[in-house]
Amino acid sequence: MDEAAARLQLQEVMRDVFSDSSIEIFDEMTAADVTGWDSLNHINLVIAVERSFGVRLTTKDVAALRNVGGMLALLRAKLT
Amino acid sequence: MDYFALVKEAKLAAPQGAKFRLALLAECSTQHLAPALKALFAREGVAVELYEGPYGAIRQETLDPKSGLYAFKPDAIAILSDARALRERFSRDDKGAEAFAAGAAGDMISVWRAIESRSAAVILQATLPVPYERLFGNFDEKAARSLPAAARRINRALVDASGGNVRICDLDSLASYLGLGRWFDQKLWALAKAPCSFECLPLLARALVDATRPQRGRAVKCVVTDLDNTLWGGTIGDDGLEGIKLGHGDEGEAYLELQRFLLALKQRGILLAVCSRNDEKTALEPFEKHPEMALKRSDFAAFVANWTSKAEGLKAIREALNIGFDSMVFLDDDAFERNLIRAALPEVAVPELPEDAADFVKALCELNLFEAGSFTEEDRARAGQYAAQEVRRSKQAAFTSPEGYLRSLNMKITVARFDAFHLPRVAQLTSRSNQFNLTTKRYAEGECAAFMKDEAGCYPFYVTLKDDLGDSGLVAAAILLYKGDALEIDQWLMSCRVLMRGVEEHMMNFAVALAKAKGLKTIKGRYVPTAKNGMVRDFFGRFGFVKTAERPDGSADWSLDAARYEPKPVYFAEQAGAAGHG
Repeated sequence: MDEAAARLQLQEVMRDVFSDSSIEIFDEMTAADVTGWDSLNHINLVIAVERSFGVRLTTKDVAALRNVGGMLALLRAKLT
Repeated sequence: MDYFALVKEAKLAAPQGAKFRLALLAECSTQHLAPALKALFAREGVAVELYEGPYGAIRQETLDPKSGLYAFKPDAIAILSDARALRERFSRDDKGAEAFAAGAAGDMISVWRAIESRSAAVILQATLPVPYERLFGNFDEKAARSLPAAARRINRALVDASGGNVRICDLDSLASYLGLGRWFDQKLWALAKAPCSFECLPLLARALVDATRPQRGRAVKCVVTDLDNTLWGGTIGDDGLEGIKLGHGDEGEAYLELQRFLLALKQRGILLAVCSRNDEKTALEPFEKHPEMALKRSDFAAFVANWTSKAEGLKAIREALNIGFDSMVFLDDDAFERNLIRAALPEVAVPELPEDAADFVKALCELNLFEAGSFTEEDRARAGQYAAQEVRRSKQAAFTSPEGYLRSLNMKITVARFDAFHLPRVAQLTSRSNQFNLTTKRYAEGECAAFMKDEAGCYPFYVTLKDDLGDSGLVAAAILLYKGDALEIDQWLMSCRVLMRGVEEHMMNFAVALAKAKGLKTIKGRYVPTAKNGMVRDFFGRFGFVKTAERPDGSADWSLDAARYEPKPVYFAEQAGAAGHG
């Protein structure tokens, strides 16, 4: 997996889900850093990531997510 | 429909039309459903206000008269039950699916009753999409020990107990059509108690929007169909009677399937009409001579075959049947003709038809165009009533005076206070009448029942009419409120099938006589304009009412001195009402 490309792709997905084109993602970024990252949009983000990357995140994967870095690590594991 | 696209659409939507207040009570989460509902209501021009009851608190919300639910004053309350929410209770119960279902359905029905005693809102009860675990494999339904077996029985019980103010939103049927494997997303259930997969969520939302349609006065009344390559394969004018494809075996079977579907719609009370570019004689030939035709000429309330544009044809059908364009569906295999109608008459529903005639019926069913809140005897009889109407029209031409004609019909009229037997049809008429409707207040059955019971406060009445040519059934209704020394017309509507027969004159004579009997000096009325009811703008003027106020929105108040009213001549024999009410 191209790490930089995946990071950009995730950034696009997040900008889309949270309707905010100024979002710049970083590994430690959490729900507290993004307006509108509530439980509703958390599920939307999971589904949008699954669709965009063509992967399936398990219930355990989603439950264990803590920040954007965690999401990237998960994608790295799924895509390589 | 894509869920995320709907979420974006919901943010941008600014519907200008009617408001609708919908409360959601659910055993699943509704947060993801809300934006999809907003977007889909907006597509119909409706600005929806949503109330999302707290998760899993249906009982508390409905039993507490001070709950947020009732404070919200919903027009409709959707109850989304979920079989998965019953799983724990079911697993502790070993009485079997039958007994469990009776108990669970009974609980839900008691929720309806709790709502009905506190609100007149329409209740939309969702059926339970049936879960997939089969404890006995193919023997499961017979064994009746599993949750799916219980869910099927609960659904049956809910449907059987529905009626009146309670309507079913059949999510199980939708989920089955889409595929239960696609519908259920157990990860989303575990993480967020979401009712179904995101793929199916927009269709769940649409099912709810559709289920509110009868209440919002949006019902399809007539299907207008093209002939060549729609009702049969080929062109009757070119291929001739023997050349067209229709009937058993290959291609002709596909067209016959659509004919059978239209016939079933006719039997359920939908009017059929033909709009074809053909010579009338040629167009009629298959109906008269082709042995495989499922549809006969007499199945159609209107038959337009000529060489004018189809938009003109639809206008002629609209005139003949007295229905609005927005209650018509137009079927045509030709994409060019479909687009012409969409451009010329945007209110007419013009579904895309697939290339393959074998898929016509399936495509129409997916659109779910034919929602209804009830099925009455009147629905069953409607097509025959329109046929009698055609005879009346031709008879009329033979008379020199309208009086002579009206006398010749031997019309029998009944005016009676609302009674339980007629409430479903009254509610249906209030939700459907658009043109001859002075205030266009849509009252659900529960609200009509409240008027019925309020003997001290009002006189709500319906009118039925029959004559030598047929029974027109319940054709008009009005609600008259006793307000001080005035009789106030809260609602007054009539089916356009009985225009020019003296029904409204008879009703006004009745209303004035009632006012006098009650010692009320004036009769007050209001006209509230809509896009449809221009025909009654000067209704009160016709009866000698004086306009007392007019507002910028075009609505006007009218007043009549009861003592100065001259009863209008009418030509009816009067009959007593059904349930013995005055």
